[in-house]
Amino acid sequence: MDAYSFLLQGLVTASDPMMLFYALIGVTLGTAVGVLPGIGPALTVALLLPVTYRLDPAGSLIMFAGIYYGGMYGGSTTSILLNTPGESASIITALEGNKMARKGRGGPALATAAIGSFIAGLIATLLLAFLAPWIVKIALVFGPREYFALMVLAFVTVSAAFGDSALRGLTSLFLGLALACIGIDQLTGQARLSFGVPDLLDGIEVTTMAVAMFAVGEALYIAGQGMQHDDQVTAVKGSVWMNRLDWMRSWKPWLRGTAIGFPIGAMPAGGAEIGTFLSYAAEKKLTRHPEEFGEGAIEGVAGPEAANNASAAGTLVPLLTLGLPTSATAAIMLAGFQQFGLQPGPLLFATNPTLVWGLIASLLIANAMLLVLNLPLIGLWVKLLTIPRHWLYAGILLFATLGTIGANPSSFELGMLLAFGVLGYVMRLFGYPIAPIVVGLILGPMAEQQLRRALSISQGDWTTLVQSPIAAVLLGLAALAFIVPLIMRARGKGEMLSQMAGDED
Amino acid sequence: MRPATQNRKRSRDTAALFIAAGLVVLGLVIIWDSARLADLGGYSGLGPASMPRVVGFCLILLALWTATAALRGEFPERPPQQAAPVLWIVAGLAAQMLLLHAAGFSIATGILFAFTARGFGKRNLAMTIPIGIVLSFAVWCVFSQLLMLHLPAGPVEQLIFPRG
Amino acid sequence: MKTFILASLFAGAMALPAAADYTIIAPANPGGGWDQTARAMQTVMQEEGISPSAQVQNVPGAGGTIGLAQFASQNRGNPDALIVGGYVMVGAILTNNSPVTLQDVTPIARLTGEYEAIVVPAASPIQSIEDLIEQLKADPGSVSWAGGSAGGADHIAVGLIAKATEVDPTTINYIAYSGGGEALAAILGNQVTAGISSLGEFEAQIEAGTLRLLATSAPEPIEGVDAPTLKEAGLDVVLENWRMVAAAPDLTDEQKAKVSADIEAMVTSDSWQKQLSDKGWADTYLAGEEFDAQLESDITATDAVLRDIGLIK
Repeated sequence: MDAYSFLLQGLVTASDPMMLFYALIGVTLGTAVGVLPGIGPALTVALLLPVTYRLDPAGSLIMFAGIYYGGMYGGSTTSILLNTPGESASIITALEGNKMARKGRGGPALATAAIGSFIAGLIATLLLAFLAPWIVKIALVFGPREYFALMVLAFVTVSAAFGDSALRGLTSLFLGLALACIGIDQLTGQARLSFGVPDLLDGIEVTTMAVAMFAVGEALYIAGQGMQHDDQVTAVKGSVWMNRLDWMRSWKPWLRGTAIGFPIGAMPAGGAEIGTFLSYAAEKKLTRHPEEFGEGAIEGVAGPEAANNASAAGTLVPLLTLGLPTSATAAIMLAGFQQFGLQPGPLLFATNPTLVWGLIASLLIANAMLLVLNLPLIGLWVKLLTIPRHWLYAGILLFATLGTIGANPSSFELGMLLAFGVLGYVMRLFGYPIAPIVVGLILGPMAEQQLRRALSISQGDWTTLVQSPIAAVLLGLAALAFIVPLIMRARGKGEMLSQMAGDED
Repeated sequence: MRPATQNRKRSRDTAALFIAAGLVVLGLVIIWDSARLADLGGYSGLGPASMPRVVGFCLILLALWTATAALRGEFPERPPQQAAPVLWIVAGLAAQMLLLHAAGFSIATGILFAFTARGFGKRNLAMTIPIGIVLSFAVWCVFSQLLMLHLPAGPVEQLIFPRG
Repeated sequence: MKTFILASLFAGAMALPAAADYTIIAPANPGGGWDQTARAMQTVMQEEGISPSAQVQNVPGAGGTIGLAQFASQNRGNPDALIVGGYVMVGAILTNNSPVTLQDVTPIARLTGEYEAIVVPAASPIQSIEDLIEQLKADPGSVSWAGGSAGGADHIAVGLIAKATEVDPTTINYIAYSGGGEALAAILGNQVTAGISSLGEFEAQIEAGTLRLLATSAPEPIEGVDAPTLKEAGLDVVLENWRMVAAAPDLTDEQKAKVSADIEAMVTSDSWQKQLSDKGWADTYLAGEEFDAQLESDITATDAVLRDIGLIK
């Protein structure tokens, strides 16, 4: 049998009504746990995996796929509506998505996230099905120096997208990098900046920080403005559905997000966040409506959401072709596969075609089920915003802390939530952008470790960083992204850019 | 949480000067801490202390830049802020943190809920605290009993689920 | 909303809480070896009725020392609390100078273990462990080793190998990776000279011919594994990366006996054996005084080698 007939057979099995029902339950459960801020798809799947043990392999697989997609989509919903990112890969979604929701465009934001996720998931799953063996060869070429170059590119492009003041953007970024130093140094096991506090040894949890910065910081800021800002949030303005213009502005970002997210997800040390960062930076660069960025641009939701989902499917490439669990979620999935006696590895496609294609078919069905479940619910979700403000924010903080407690029931973690919430409030008050500090916390350790690994392998020879063609090209792109705006500003051509550089000059 | 005090055209931004001072302190702490680390750079030449030193140094530079901007009054206008609502929410979060293990999820989170609502203008705590506790308990039931999340139990939870 | 209620009922029906039960702490993130061990224990205890609704809780961080510290302080005298741990924890306690050690809990039994394997990419010119050792002796820096976290079992094994070959252990070029997947990718991608990790991590790749197995750290040749042990290659290095279960501190003798009996019942059950074979884990169950003695000798040996590598002073 060839790939097509295996896939078809898998799809036929998965479209049995009972299977569809399992998919529905999986998606619902996954969404229910995944909406909790701080609880990403990995923990969602880990928590709910035992539920799937009680079904036969086919049903278990499809429910599992549903939980996985549900857990991922759940994070985006809260990002958009409540400005509380459920996981690090939906932080970028909160930037534009929540601005849209506040202007009564929560419906289109949720819709473009759902449809974008669906399309990206669909394309990426098909790419996974038919191109995985080739893609993984390319992904393996990425060593420490190539990753370091990729991080540098991400830093440069993302920083260009940060707010209106170079001083405040950089300060925020470096605060993030400083926080990133806290904890045990991966490469030598030395504890940095933990001052003997055991809870600090593992560093700052990105999701705790993101939830605190976005949800708590903002609740404090809004509350501090007192009663005069009552009308800031408009629940629904215009249609809850995407209009023609929204579609026109969304489809390209969906495709671009997929193109960015999938290969980065397939790289063993890529990480879904980087795909969302790069996608956001790309959309900001390419948009015809630059003035809307930061104020609720639909491209800024469509692209990163597509990138997030595509990268999730990308993670399956090394998992299914090499047996490499390259993310926490993939590691859980590996554990999930083992209950069927399935050992992912280079021979998996050859030795276990039925299960592999069954999984791929299940992913396709679960992806579609997610769309079916969520599109009609959008109307209901946006009604959340019509809840009176005092109940709404009380509820947001309830759920924000619930997620933190659920992930790690310690008072210390709640203390961090409070401390970073206050920091987020002060930063908002003084006009510091919030995203760079989170980006610094995520990218800082990755860049540092990859650089040190690259230099260890080359025994201290810095030229190694440009000796590989891929690394050299990526660093070249980063240099261009850094220098070109400077030149354009010097020539006085880029009005928009010099405006971005802010009020320092 | 400084209440904003600017309704005059200022040439100097004192609050922003405090930020600059904070950044200097933070940079120095990071550099001081890195001095304690063993030099285990090995073959890379970059040890665990290298990155903190760079970051600490940059923070001090940014502090100088911030101080210059503050002296020239270049920070944007801050929206007027009221301290009381902010303090209510901070108090709610602190209460939840302190009560979580002693009183369980529902009571601790119920208080957070009520205090937050208070911060947003719903003053009647006698009404909002019970509402918060009931709501938190419902949430606790769903996530802890049905979705198998590990949430701390207290008297309320143990009353209904004795072995919770 | 109707679907949600339905689904909740469905999930609820499948997860009804029952009698008082064990809570198993996995001091690591979901997905890792300790988490999988804890969840395997949970499944078996539920299936065998030893603990019908055993729970697993993840307390990740710092090689398990954060979970260990929390466990020891919150469960004093609690006979229903268990924690999973292992050899990596021994090293982590020493490198992190952790205030809570394995002396502060009640170790019950070793459950399973894996031996270390040394591999090179298929394309590597290195054909045998002797080739690798030759290169290591000639220029230790030119041999980059990809493995797990600093101070963990993999790192310790490399330190022991260096010592056994009379190479200064501080000169090894060890590249630590946080997850097994990442290290494996670096080896497969030919980014490093050699890789070291648990044999199970590499097995599928060795079978597929993408990695070449040079040696294992087992005391005796392993059946079905086509490579010498380090001992056979003339290096006095034996290392087992074991996993264990421990109970709370300050248990009475009866309580400890009850926990030990429950664990023994779990280990001897068919479903535990099935879990082990599904996951490819070896049954290295060891309890009582023998386990205590082994633990002690491991701690002493680990302390010595970590000092040699320079990770503790």
